[in-house]
Amino acid sequence: MANIDIKHYDVVVKPVITEKSTLVSEFNQVVFQVAKDATKPQIKAAVEALYGVKVLAVNTMVAKGKTKRWRGQEYRRSDVKKAVVTVADGDRIDVTTSI
Amino acid sequence: MQIAEITNQGLRRAYSLVIPAEAIAARVETRLAEVSKTIRMPGFRPGKVPANLVKKMHGAALRGEALQDALNDGVNQVISSNGLRPATQPQVDVDGELPDDGDARFTVSLEILPTIDDVKIDDLALEKLVVPADDAAMDAALARLAESAQRTEPAPAKHKAKTGDTVVIDYEGTVDGVKFDGGTGEGMRVKIGSGQLIPGFEDQLVGAKANEQRTILVTFPEDYGAANLAGKPAEFAITVQAVEVPAETKIDDEFAKGFGLDSLDALKEILKDQLDAELGGLSRTHLKRKLLDTLASRHDFDVPVSMVDAEFDQIWQTLEAEAAREADPAAAKAEIEAEREDYRRIAVRRVRLGLLLSEIGQRGGVTVSQAEMNRLIGQEAARYAPAEQQKVVKFFQENAMAAMQLRAPLYEDKVVDYLIGKAAITERAVTREELEAAIASEDESPAGHVHGPDCEHDHDHAPAKPAKKAAAKKAKAEEPAAEAAAEPVKKAPAKKAAAKKADAEPAAEAEAPAKPKKATKKSA
Repeated sequence: MANIDIKHYDVVVKPVITEKSTLVSEFNQVVFQVAKDATKPQIKAAVEALYGVKVLAVNTMVAKGKTKRWRGQEYRRSDVKKAVVTVADGDRIDVTTSI
Repeated sequence: MQIAEITNQGLRRAYSLVIPAEAIAARVETRLAEVSKTIRMPGFRPGKVPANLVKKMHGAALRGEALQDALNDGVNQVISSNGLRPATQPQVDVDGELPDDGDARFTVSLEILPTIDDVKIDDLALEKLVVPADDAAMDAALARLAESAQRTEPAPAKHKAKTGDTVVIDYEGTVDGVKFDGGTGEGMRVKIGSGQLIPGFEDQLVGAKANEQRTILVTFPEDYGAANLAGKPAEFAITVQAVEVPAETKIDDEFAKGFGLDSLDALKEILKDQLDAELGGLSRTHLKRKLLDTLASRHDFDVPVSMVDAEFDQIWQTLEAEAAREADPAAAKAEIEAEREDYRRIAVRRVRLGLLLSEIGQRGGVTVSQAEMNRLIGQEAARYAPAEQQKVVKFFQENAMAAMQLRAPLYEDKVVDYLIGKAAITERAVTREELEAAIASEDESPAGHVHGPDCEHDHDHAPAKPAKKAAAKKAKAEEPAAEAAAEPVKKAPAKKAAAKKADAEPAAEAEAPAKPKKATKKSA
C-alpha cells in the first residue's frame, strides 16, 4: 500500500460490476474498466498498489463503442478498455467497497 | 423475544421488550431472500443479483424493516399474551441507542380499556316525550310559507306608500357632499317597515308616490359595518320608480303549484313529513339524552387517562376556536379557562359513556353488517365528485381506521336502539316548546355558558344529534330554496333575495353534493 502513485488512480477507472464479472470472481479474477491507453504492466502495478494484492495475470480487451443514431446522424459511443485481473490465491478484492 | 412487566398501575401498563440479535438477523435473511428475487440493478438481469451484493446495497434499510416488523410482532405479542385490550395505540420507546447489531431493547407502554363487570341495563325506565303533530303547527308552517312567498302587485298611480308596501327606488347617497362606496343604486326594492335598512330610512319613504323625487336625511348608526360611515349623517337623493302593495296570498292549490306540486294536499303532506321528522328527531334526542344520563349515573369505573385527554383536547380546541371569534377573545378565554374543570368532567363522562355503550353493544350482540357498512361508504362517497368516488370507496375499504370512524356513529345508534328496545318506555304527550325546553335544560354543559352546538351535546358519542339537527335545518332551508327557484325574478326585494340565496345555497349543496361547485372545493 505504501507506494501508491497518483498515476495508479488514472489507470484503474472503476470495477465492472455485472453478472458476468461476479461469475469470474470464482476464479480469483476481478474485472476493471481501465484507461484506454493503459498497458498490462501498468494495470498490474496499479492493482497491486491500490488493493495490496499479488497479480498473477492481466488480460485486456477493448469493447468498441456502439454505433448509434440521433436525429438520423450516426455517432459512436466511446470505446471502453476492460481488464480481467487474476489475483493470487488467498488475496481478495472487495470491489463493492470503492477506493 | 423477552417480555417483562414493568408497571401495572390502574389502567397503565408498561413492558420491557428485548428482541435478540438472532431473531433480527433471521428476519433480515428471509426478507433478503424475498427482495433479491425482485430487485433490479444495472448489469444484472432482474432477480439475478447475488445476495451478498443486495445485502451490501440495502442492508441497512432491510434491517430497519426487520426491526420494525419484529417490534410490531413483539407489541402484538405483549397485548395478546397478557390479554390486554389497549385503549390507545401503545407507545414504544427505544431504550438507549439502537445498535447496528446485537439485541434491541424497547419499552412498550399503553393504557388498557377498563373491564366493565356489571352492565346494568335491565329495568331501565325512560320517559319519552312525544309531540303530536297537530293542525295548528301545520297551519303555522303553511302560514310561514305563505308569508315568505308573499308577492306584491303594482299600486294605483296615486297610491301613497305606507308601512308594509314595497317601494322600488333609485338612490344616490352622499356623506358631506361626497358619494361613498355602495351608496348608489338603481331599482332597489324596499319593504317599508321591514327594518332592513338604516333606521329612519324606511320611515321617510312613507307617503312616497310613483315617480316622486325626495331627499332623505339619515344618520348611520354608530355600530355600522363600514367604519368610515358609522355615526355620520348622510343624504340620499331618491327617485321612486314604483310603489307596490302586498297581494293577498291565498293558501290553495294554486299556491301549491307555485312549488311545483299538484295540489295543496300534496304540499301539506310534505310539510307534515318534515314536521314529523323534526319532532321525531327532537323526541329521540331527548330520549337518548335521558338514556345516557341514566347510564352515566348507574356506572362508575376508571377510564383511561389518555382517552380522556384526547377527548378533552378536542373539546378545548373547539372552545378556543370559538373564544377567538368572540368580540372579546381575552375575556372569553378567561371564561372557558375558569370552567376548565367542568369541561374535563364532561370529557370523562363522554369517554365513559362511549366505552359503556360499546361494551353493551358487544354483550347485546349489536353488529353493523357489511351491507350497512357498504351503504355508509356509499353515502360518504356520494359527497365527492363522481371521478373521486371510486377512490373514496377504495380508501374506506382499505383503511380500517377510517372505516371505523364511519362505523362508530351507526353502531352507537344501534346500541341506543337496542337499549331503548329493552327499556320500559312511558310516553307522554307534550308540546313542542316543552320538549325543546326539556332538551335545553338537560344540557350537560356547565351552567351559565352559552357556546355553540359542540358543547350542547355529546358530539362524539351522540353524532346522531347533529345529523338530525342538520336534517331539520336542511328541511327549513329547502323552503326558500324551492321558492327562489320557483319565482326568482318576479318578486323578492333585492336584499331579501340575496339573503335567501345565501340560505338556499347550503341547502342546495347538501341536496346535490355532486354539484360541480362542491366537487371543485373538495378536489381542490
